[in-house]
Order: sequence, then structure tokens, then C-alpha cells
Amino acid sequence: MRPRGVGIFFDGSTSARHVVALELAHQAVIARGSECQILARWPYEVLQRVPAPAGMLRFARRGSAVPARLELRDPALMVAIDTLTAALPARRQNLWRRRVVLVVSSAGVLSAVVGGIFGLPTIADKIAPWIPLTLERELGEAVETELRLSLDLGRSAGSLECGEGPVESPGRRLVDALVSRLAMVAALPTAVKVAVIRRPESNAFALPGGHIFVYQGLLAKAEGPDELAGVIAHEIGHLAHRDGTKAVMRAAGLSFLFGMVLGDFVGGGAVVIAAKTLLRSAYSRQAEAAADAYSVELVGKAGGDARALSAILVRISGSIEPGPMIAMDHPQTADRVAAINAAASLHSARALLSPTEWAVLRRICSGT
Amino acid sequence: MTATARADGALPGGADTACARFLGDPVAFRRLLMRGAGCLVITLGIYRFWLLTDIRQFLWSNTEIGGDVLEYLGTARELVIGFVLAVALLVPIYGAFWAATLTLALLPRLFGVLGLVLLALFGQFAVFRARRYRLSRTLFRGLRFHQTGSAWRYAASAVGWWAIVLVTLGLAYPWAQASLERYKMRHTFYGDLSGGFEGSGTRLFLRGVPMWVFTVGPLILGLTVMIRAVDFSVLAEVQTLDGEDVLAQIETANPQFAAAMLYGGLALGFSAVAAAALYPALQALLLRWWLSGLRFGEIAVTSRLRTKSIYAIYMRCVGQALMLSMVVMAAGVAIAAFMRLLSVALAVPGLTEGLSTVAVVGFYVVTALTYFMVYQQTVKLGLWQLGVQSLDLAGLGALERVKAQAVASSALGEGLVDALHVGGY
Repeated sequence: MRPRGVGIFFDGSTSARHVVALELAHQAVIARGSECQILARWPYEVLQRVPAPAGMLRFARRGSAVPARLELRDPALMVAIDTLTAALPARRQNLWRRRVVLVVSSAGVLSAVVGGIFGLPTIADKIAPWIPLTLERELGEAVETELRLSLDLGRSAGSLECGEGPVESPGRRLVDALVSRLAMVAALPTAVKVAVIRRPESNAFALPGGHIFVYQGLLAKAEGPDELAGVIAHEIGHLAHRDGTKAVMRAAGLSFLFGMVLGDFVGGGAVVIAAKTLLRSAYSRQAEAAADAYSVELVGKAGGDARALSAILVRISGSIEPGPMIAMDHPQTADRVAAINAAASLHSARALLSPTEWAVLRRICSGT
Repeated sequence: MTATARADGALPGGADTACARFLGDPVAFRRLLMRGAGCLVITLGIYRFWLLTDIRQFLWSNTEIGGDVLEYLGTARELVIGFVLAVALLVPIYGAFWAATLTLALLPRLFGVLGLVLLALFGQFAVFRARRYRLSRTLFRGLRFHQTGSAWRYAASAVGWWAIVLVTLGLAYPWAQASLERYKMRHTFYGDLSGGFEGSGTRLFLRGVPMWVFTVGPLILGLTVMIRAVDFSVLAEVQTLDGEDVLAQIETANPQFAAAMLYGGLALGFSAVAAAALYPALQALLLRWWLSGLRFGEIAVTSRLRTKSIYAIYMRCVGQALMLSMVVMAAGVAIAAFMRLLSVALAVPGLTEGLSTVAVVGFYVVTALTYFMVYQQTVKLGLWQLGVQSLDLAGLGALERVKAQAVASSALGEGLVDALHVGGY
């Protein structure tokens, strides 16, 4: 005997609820209305199970534009129809679709991460030379205004930039002299400007557009003019390679990749920041090595001791700060020192400033 | 046949009033969330389209109104396409804006304000279009809901209202809500049955204004006292001085300064505590007011929502979050200790640096996802469940005569909502 029971049928063109007598016929389920008229005759292969609460089976007619629905709550009938449709290929297909999605999107994530590591720097390196210098300068200025505010230690510590009072300004003139000597050899298309700023850390950085900042803490650790020159030449190297602009472009690309496409699924953007720092530090290592090589060549051409850079690197190593920085962690410093010394051995050594000049220069942040 | 008709959970035929039930099992919901969270981690968030679809499917297909269950017709694929469209639309706009702020340095501040307004407009546009998508994917008794109306008009009116709300320190909020809800519901249809909204802004204002007095009132009072007590000319003078003890100088020149700061701090603290304590009450008030204002033709809705049950939801959420925080702290300490041991054992600094970064990111992701799950399980599911259970519907006789009139709409709005981070169910 064929299973029978009661169900609910919605025809999809009115909201009327039809209580129907259901019959599981040989090839189709048949729904009859109160006057025994056939309201629906759906073959099993077009039955599509749609979400329903526990204790109910709900079917749509596959491929139909009209959202007609058949609902069953009769346990015996539910079991019967479930066994009839279980073997249909369409039901197994649905299970597979989810797994395919998971596999494909995991592969997509993998390729996005790989693209983030290898693709973005390549794209940034290719595009950076095409960015006009005026745009680069404006970018640098925009960043500088923000940075000056965040770096300033406040009124009681004195102005952020050293070298303004009568005691400090002779030092500033010597820094400028040292820089112009390096800049002349480097012959960059943009003007190089160096500022020594009142910060205790041992750090230095270059902004797109040609502005270099040397921290007072780094100057205090320098034991000769060539060490300072080496650091400044390293930063000029970043300018020559347009590393700042490339970093901005990479950061924009990464925040697009991680923030928008992959989705900030835990909120707050912290995972985005973490992923970006991780990838950015991987990029900057190569950039640092290239800037070291540039510094060796520049200081050598200017007539100074190119090995001095490695000496100050060793002295300040251990202080790790974010950004395009001069100091990295210990093992890297060892590698860098080795590379610098290997490249610098070709050049003859002579100090770029006399000991008296160096003594004057060091008073640049001594206070007015 | 009429005898068996009751077996499907429907009310007796011809009944004009009915209530709503939520049939979902919280355990099933938790299972769905946990599986989804795992998939989110594996796919770095791409699975969110599927998880959101699953959550909606669960909520919709467990919501029974007058004996019949809703159905959610949306698919994750539609959300993905909507998202891609939204990104394609937003990228050139972001790019143009970025370039404009860089090259046209003459008006950066104006551009900032303009950008904010534009972003707000886009956000509200997205909210309206996403609502349209969700409605057109909601099926009830074999008929879809749908929404007409202009999303840009809605966005402009919403941004205007929000500006007024900001200027009036929140006092205009009830009328803003009522007006926007009227616009939305006037353009909402179930089949050919037109929706409406009868919630009154003035009534909401009268109900809510005591809460406003308790939270915003002390803040205004404190700030006024502060502004009147502080001598700004003294402050400006001190700014230009380069002394060591700035506070002492202010103290001598303006003796009420310390007291003013104290009042200001106290007022701020009181307002913050009051806002946190009253938030569930406000939520209950808003939900009850909104549900009771909904109309479809002659179908009217009232809500019996109890304020204390909303408090119970938030208490549960806070309690679970606190317990979770203890577990998180213990796990964090354990991981930190393990990483230290590992770095000593491996003695390869580059490797341990990378490993600890991965550990920190992983720890953060898992923690954030667990909090997300607690919130979804307690607050989101709880509010939905309470809201549905509180409903009384009248005039359901109209349901016998509704005809289909709906067309499916695109998921672009949902994509924009996702890309712009303006949430919703």
C-alpha cells in the first residue's frame, strides 16, 4: 500500500494555505485538495528540500520560478518520502558543494597570501618609478605633519628639531655640510634635507620626497662623523630606491587584500594590522640590505670610511622599532655587518669631518 | 480532514488573531556557529558569506507566525557576487578620493568632511538596499516580501536625520527613527499587501526621555559647570609658558580649576555607568515600539516584550564573556610560557620571532571569534527569539487573499554593507 497522509500546500501565487491529502505515488508525490482535485503533482526528481524547523519537511519544486511549497509534519510520511528521495543525485550534490567551496576558498586564501608576499612587492616596485616626484613629496609632507605631532615629546623637552638656538645652530650647519657633501655625490632628483630630532631612541628614517630624520639617541651613540654619514647615506639609499613610496603602496595593497577581500571577520582590524606587520617586515629586510649597499658605495665615493656604518649598527643593535629603520635584530645585524665589511674593503678610509668639527656637530641637541 | 489539520501546528481555521513562536534549538545554533567559526579561520574570513546565510536560514526557518514558518531563500553565492560588485564600485571611488586628497592639497579638511558625508550616504544606501535583498529572500506561505522606494532618497533623508540627532544630542532620535521606519515600511510589501508603520516618534520620546535625562543630562551639567569654572585665558597663557610645573601655575591663577576637572570627570563617569546600565532597557523599549508599530494591510502587530528579559540576555552575555576572559587569560599565560621555552630550546631567533607572531595572531583570532560566538549565541539569538515570542498578531484573515507580486532583487546592498562594515541581521 502506498503511504498517505496530510500536508500543507502553498501554491506560490496566493498566500492561501491548502490542507492537502498527500499520496506518495510511483513516480511523484500527489497533493489533493478538499474536493479531491489535484493541486500538485511533483515528480520525486524535482523535489528540493528547503530549510525547515525540526519535525517538518519542506519541499520546493526544483527549477520552478514560482515559490510553491509542500510541507509535511506527519512522521510516517516524512520517513517514507525521505527514503524515496535519498538516492536522488541532487541531494548528494548539495553536500559536495559546501566542501568544494571550502577547498576553493582555502586555495584562494593561500594564493592571496602568496600574492601578498611575492606579488605586491613586485607590483609596487614596478609602479613606484612611475609616480611623479611632486606627488611623492606631497605624500611625504602629509606623513611628516602627522609624525611631527606624534614624535614631539612636549614643551618641557624643547622643540622637536635640534639646531635652532645659538648653541645648537653651529652643529646644524655642520650636519648640513655633511649632508650636502653626500647629496652631491648621490645626485638624487630631489633635494635631501636632514633633521636631528629630540628623541631618546637610536633610530633614523627617510620619508618619501627627501626628508630624513635622525634621532638624538642615535647621534649620541655615533663615535665619529663617518658613522653618522653612513646612517644618513643608508637613508639616502632608501630615498634613491623609493622605498618609502613602495612601502605606502604595499601597505595600501595589503590593507585592501586583508581588510576588504578577505574580510575583517573578527572585527577591530587587529588581525589586519598583525598580518601587515608580519609581511612588511619581510619586505623591509631586502630593502635594508639594498640601502646598506648604497650607503657603502656613497660614503666610499664621498671619501669616508664606509665600514663605519657596520660599527654603529653593532652598537645600536637590539633596539627594534617599526618602520623603515636602521637597526634590526641581532642575527640580521651580523649578516649586515658582514655584507657591509665585504663591500667596503675596496674603499680607502678618511674621516669626513675633523675631530673639532665633530665635537661641534655633536652639540646640536645640547640645548640653548 | 479538518480534524487532522491541527497536526501541523496551525491555529483553528478562521482565527483572526495569532501569536508567533520561535522553534529553534539553541544547541543547534551553537553547533552551526562553531562549525562556521572553524571555517572562517581556515578561509581567513571568506566563509562569512556562508555563515551569514546559515545563520539567517536558521533564524528564518525557525520563526513561526500563526502556524506557518518563514523561509530564507538567499544564497551565499548571491552575497559573494554582491560583495564583488560593491568592491568594484568602491575601489575607483576610494582611489579617486585618495588621489584627490593627495594632489589637491589646498582643501584637505573640506575633503575630509565631504568624504565622511559620502561614506555615510553610501552606508545608508547600503542599509536600505540590503533590507530590500533580505525582504525579497523572505518567503511566507509561498509568497515573497519585497521593497520598493529609492535607496538614494532614503540615504539622503537618513543622513539628514542623523545630523539633526547629533545636533540635538540625541533628543531628535525618536522622530528620526519613526520617520525612517515609516519610509521603509511604506515601501515594504508582502505579496500585494502593503506595509506601514504606526509607531509614533512623540510616544517614543516621552517613554525614552527619562533615560536621556539620566545619561546625557549629567554630562551636559558637568560640562557646563566645567566651562564656567575654568578660566580659558589662564589656560591659553599657560600654554605659551615654558614652565616646569604647569598644574601648579594653573592652580594659583584659577583656583576652581581642580574642582571643575573633578566635576567633569564625575559627570562623565556617571553618564558612562548610566548608559551601560540603561542600554538593555533602551533596547527593550525600541524593540517593543518598533514591533508594535508594524502593519501589513489590516494585519496589526503588538509586542509583549518584557524589559527584564532583555536584561537577562545581557547579563548572560556579560557573565559568559567574563568567564571566557578568565580562560583566555590563563591560555595567554600558558602560550607565553610555552613560547619562551621554545625560543630557549630552538635558539634560532628569526624563527622564534616568526613563530611568536603567528602565535599572537592565532591567539587573537581564536579569542575574538569566541567572543563573537558568545555575542551571537546570547544577544543576537536571544533578541530574535524574545522579539518573535512577544508578538501578537491581529487581522490575519487578510492572509487568505494576498496575491504574489514580488521580484527578486540583487545583493549589491549586502555587498556594500559588508565592504563598508555597517552590520545588520
